Amino acid sequence: MKRRQQGILTGMPFMANITPRTFVDDAGRKLYIAKAPTRVVSLAPSITEMLFALGLDEQIVGVTELCNYPAAALSKPKIGYARPNLESVVALRPDMIVAPQEFLRADLLAKLEELKIPVFLIEAKSVDDVLMQLQSLGKIFNKTKVSDTVTGAMRDRIAGVTKRIMTSKRKRVLYVLNSHPLITVGPGSYIHHMIELAGGINVARHSASAYPRLSLETVLQEDPEVIIFPVGSLESIPKSEQEEWKRWSNLSAVRHRQLREVSSDALNRPGPRVVEGLELLARAIHPEAYLSGEAPHSP
Amino acid sequence: MSEAGLVEDAVFRKSTLGVGRWMTVIGILSAVALLLAVLCLQFGAQFVGIKEAVRMLNQMVGAPGGSESDVSTMATILLHVRLPRVVLGFLVGSCLAAVGVALQALLRNPLADPYVLGVSSGAALGVSIAVLFGVGTTALTVTALPICGFIGSLVALVVLYRMAASYDRLPIYSVLLAGVILNAICSALIMFITSIMDPSRSFGMMTWLMGSLTAPTYPTLLVFSLYALVCLGLLFRQVKVLNIMAFGEEAARSLGIDTECAKRHIFLVSALATGAVVSVSGMVGFIGMVVPHAVRLIVGADHRLVMPASALIGGTFLMVTDTFARTVVSPSELPVGIMTALVGGPFFVYLLVWRKDRMS
Repeated sequence: MKRRQQGILTGMPFMANITPRTFVDDAGRKLYIAKAPTRVVSLAPSITEMLFALGLDEQIVGVTELCNYPAAALSKPKIGYARPNLESVVALRPDMIVAPQEFLRADLLAKLEELKIPVFLIEAKSVDDVLMQLQSLGKIFNKTKVSDTVTGAMRDRIAGVTKRIMTSKRKRVLYVLNSHPLITVGPGSYIHHMIELAGGINVARHSASAYPRLSLETVLQEDPEVIIFPVGSLESIPKSEQEEWKRWSNLSAVRHRQLREVSSDALNRPGPRVVEGLELLARAIHPEAYLSGEAPHSP
Repeated sequence: MSEAGLVEDAVFRKSTLGVGRWMTVIGILSAVALLLAVLCLQFGAQFVGIKEAVRMLNQMVGAPGGSESDVSTMATILLHVRLPRVVLGFLVGSCLAAVGVALQALLRNPLADPYVLGVSSGAALGVSIAVLFGVGTTALTVTALPICGFIGSLVALVVLYRMAASYDRLPIYSVLLAGVILNAICSALIMFITSIMDPSRSFGMMTWLMGSLTAPTYPTLLVFSLYALVCLGLLFRQVKVLNIMAFGEEAARSLGIDTECAKRHIFLVSALATGAVVSVSGMVGFIGMVVPHAVRLIVGADHRLVMPASALIGGTFLMVTDTFARTVVSPSELPVGIMTALVGGPFFVYLLVWRKDRMS
C-alpha cells in the first residue's frame, strides 16, 4: 500500500515530463533535449550526410576530416576523425553531438558527458536502422516533415531495387576489403547485410566474425560469380590489386568477367546515400536486371 | 682458404662431427621435412587425400590440352594456393632460423633473433616507406621491396651493433636493450607512416605487419626463392668462421681470421635475408631464436651441422604452424605471426628466467 503511494507521488510528475522530448539513442542512453539544438557537431561522415539531408546546414558547426559530402560539408570546421580533438569540439560550443557508437572512445564520451554536452550515439547494422535514425534526428531537430519525406523517398528506392532483382537468381558474391591477406565482410557487418539485400549470397556467410580473413581455398570452393572491389576515399582496392585476382581463372567471376568496382563512399556510409550504395551494388551483382532501361515504378 | 682449413682442423681436432653423422642428421631432417610438407598439403579449408591428389595430377598430365577452366577447383587449390604457400612458408622459416644462428654466434648472445633485436622492425620500416612512396603498386614490387627491407634491416643491424659494441665484449643484456630500443623507434615510425598514409592502404599495411603468409604467384615465389637460396648459401659458407667466432673475436683474430670482414659479410647477408622475408611475410617472430636452441640441444654446438639443421627445422616449423594458422578457424585464417609468437614468447621467458646460468 505504502509502496504504491510512493510510486504515484514520485513517478507521476516524472512521467509527465518524459514523453515528448526525451530520446533514447542506439546505446540505450536516455537524453532529455528541451528544444531543438542549434549548434551540432557530427563525428562521422554518414552522420554529416544525414544532418545535411534533414536541411540542417546552418545548425552544423563541426564535421570530421573525412566528411566530403555534400560539398557544403567541406567548408565546415574540421575536428579530426579517429581521435577527435576535444578542445576544438568544445571550442565550437555545440549543444548537441551526434556520434557513431563504435568509433567514439569511452573516455571521450565520459568527458563530453562531464561537460554537459548531450551526445546522441548512433549505430547502423542495417538499412532499416538508418531510416529509424533519420526519423529520430528529425524529431530531435523538429524536422519531422523533412525526415518523413527523406525516408519515404529512400523506402521507395529500396522497393525499386527489390522489384528489379525480384526475378533474378541470387548470385554468390565476394567483397574484397584487402587482397594480401584476403579480408572480406562476414555476417554481422553492415556490408554483408547490404549484399544480401541487393540479391547476393556472401561467400563468407559461414565466417564467425564480421571482418574475417577468409582463406583463399574457401573462395575457390565457393566459386563467387561476382567479385566486388570498393573504390573511394576511405577504402580502395587499387587496379593492380584487382588485376591479380584474374589469375584465379577457375572462378566464375573471372571467367565471365564479373569483377566490379563499387563506390565505397556510398556503400560504407550508413546515411541517406545508402540507397545509392544499394542500387550500385544491385547493379554490380545483377547487371542483367538493369539492361532494360528505367526501373519499373512500384504500383 | 687452406689456411682457414688448417686453423679449423686445429680447433676441431677432437670434433666428433664426421661426414657420416652430418649426412645422417641432415638426411633424417630432410625426410621429415618432406613428409610433413606432404601432410601439410593435405590440410586446408577442405581435406585432400594423397590418393585424390595423385589422381588429379594424373588427370592433368593425361589431358594437357584441356583449357584452364577444365582443371578442377581442387587442383587449383592444391597447385596454386597450397603448394606455393607451403614452399614460401618453408623458405621463410629456413631463412629466419639461419639468420638466427648467424646472429647468435656473431653477437655471442643466445637470445639473438631478427625479431627480438629489431632487425625485422627495421626491414618492416624500410618496406613501409617504400609502400608509402608507391613502390607497392608497381611491377617492381617483387624485386624492389626485398631491397628496401634489406636497407632497413641493415641500418637497424649497424645501429644495433654500434650501440652494443661500445662495450669491449657485447654483454647479453645490453644487446637485448639495444634491440628493445630499436624495436620501439621502428614501430613508432611505422605507426607514424600508417597514420599519415591513405587510410585505404593503411589497413592492408596493418594486416601485413601482423605476419602472415599468402599464396604467392609463381613468379613472385621464384624471385623470393632466389633471394632466400642465395642468402642461405652465403650463410652456409660462413659456418667454419662462425665456429671460430663463437670463441670470441680475439681468439678468432689470433687464429688468422679477418673478423671485421667476416662480420660485415654475415651482417650484410643476414640483413638481406631478413629484408626479403619481411617483404613477403611481415613480422613473423621468434623462429630465429627458438629453432637454433632446439637444434643445439639435439645436435650440439658445431655450426657446420647447426646451420643446415636449423634451416631445415625452421622451415618445417613455419610450414606446420602456418598449416595450423590456416585451418584452426576455417573458413577464416589466423595470422601465422600470432602462432609463432605464442610458441616463441614462452620459450624466450624460459631461457631468460630458468636458463640464465647458461647464458653468462
